Amino acid sequence: MSSPQAFFDIQPQLATPIYRQVVEQVQRLVAGGQLGPGDELPSVRAVAERHAINPMTVSKAYSLLEAEGLLERRRGVGMVVAARAQPAAAGSDLLALLEPAIQALARQTRQLGIPPDQAVEALARALQSDEQDRP
Amino acid sequence: MTLAIEARQLTLHIPDGRWSVARRYALGPIDLQIPEGAVVGLVGRNGAGKSTLMRCLLGLATPDEGEARLLGEPSLALTDAVRERLGYAAQTPDLFPRLNGREHLDEMAAVYANVDLPSAVTLAARLDLPLGKRADALSLGDQQKLAVVMALAHDPDLLLLDEPVASLDPISRRDFMRALFALRRKAAPRTVLVSSHLLSDLERVVSHVLFLRDGKVQLFIEWDEAMEYLRCVPARLPDPLSLHWSAAQGGRALVDSRHCPEAAGEPGLSMEDLLEVLNT
Repeated sequence: MSSPQAFFDIQPQLATPIYRQVVEQVQRLVAGGQLGPGDELPSVRAVAERHAINPMTVSKAYSLLEAEGLLERRRGVGMVVAARAQPAAAGSDLLALLEPAIQALARQTRQLGIPPDQAVEALARALQSDEQDRP
Repeated sequence: MTLAIEARQLTLHIPDGRWSVARRYALGPIDLQIPEGAVVGLVGRNGAGKSTLMRCLLGLATPDEGEARLLGEPSLALTDAVRERLGYAAQTPDLFPRLNGREHLDEMAAVYANVDLPSAVTLAARLDLPLGKRADALSLGDQQKLAVVMALAHDPDLLLLDEPVASLDPISRRDFMRALFALRRKAAPRTVLVSSHLLSDLERVVSHVLFLRDGKVQLFIEWDEAMEYLRCVPARLPDPLSLHWSAAQGGRALVDSRHCPEAAGEPGLSMEDLLEVLNT
């Protein structure tokens, strides 16, 4: 990983525990193929220091991912993506990872009384502008 | 599991004639077991007894009943070996007015074996603390920073901090939270008990949270567990099975969603939400 600083997007104010935010982000990056077998993760210390969070929280997340088989500990390097970790084969697996966010979006859309087609349009616009922002 | 902090029936009476039906004791009776390596946020309203609890744990106040132990030793009979492993910053820092920051650190190095002066100076620089200024010329925020640097300088195994960041700006507070884990030269993680009203800061770093109200422990829980499982459900009447019942907002019960399936759809609570529910 060239830039461990920008690696995780951690938001302590969210209702999701920090360790879970890290776990889910690694799951998504591996499933999406953006992290492949052998890729290094930033050290526990670097992540904790960058985000001013408890190092134990980061190591809890890494240990869970190790138990899941997604990461493995490599001597002298730290945590790397496990050799047998595969990107999700079919699109449906990827969509499953997005499901909680989609449900939240749908709930808020209903609460605000926004017609579905307008919400879908807005999402499509957001996805496109994100595409353009990418280097 | 080794305990860093332990209290059994720890109680401090309110002086005669000043107690009320609502509050018989200044503190307690408190039973508490804090495992080694925990970073505990001590949370409660003004007057809940946070500072008193810290002083009792440290042996600076003598309880009327019960006992506290730090790192396995009774708080009222700590050996020098355990004192060497403790760090404490009081709410109002105890500093020598005529000495500057550097001289404070030199004094510490003369008393404590483990003081690593270069690291302490580096930490001071990171916190943007001028070490050349006399303590009586420092702002309250800088006095707090100096107290924190001194509490950390000897790499303590157990750190107690009473409102250490109240007067710090947001950038310094972020650096302060990094400092909780800094200057650590031993493999075992440091145990920390830190009181603060800045709950969003605590949410970043704590492993546990201890809610204190009227001198008593209301709730001591792992913070991840609290976020994942504690929920509020409407309840017009107190339910003996709930963790707490609040009369505010038409009545709410604080429940563990693992034992209360109907709470599963309720949103998670921030530390501030929890504090509010527990105090109404």
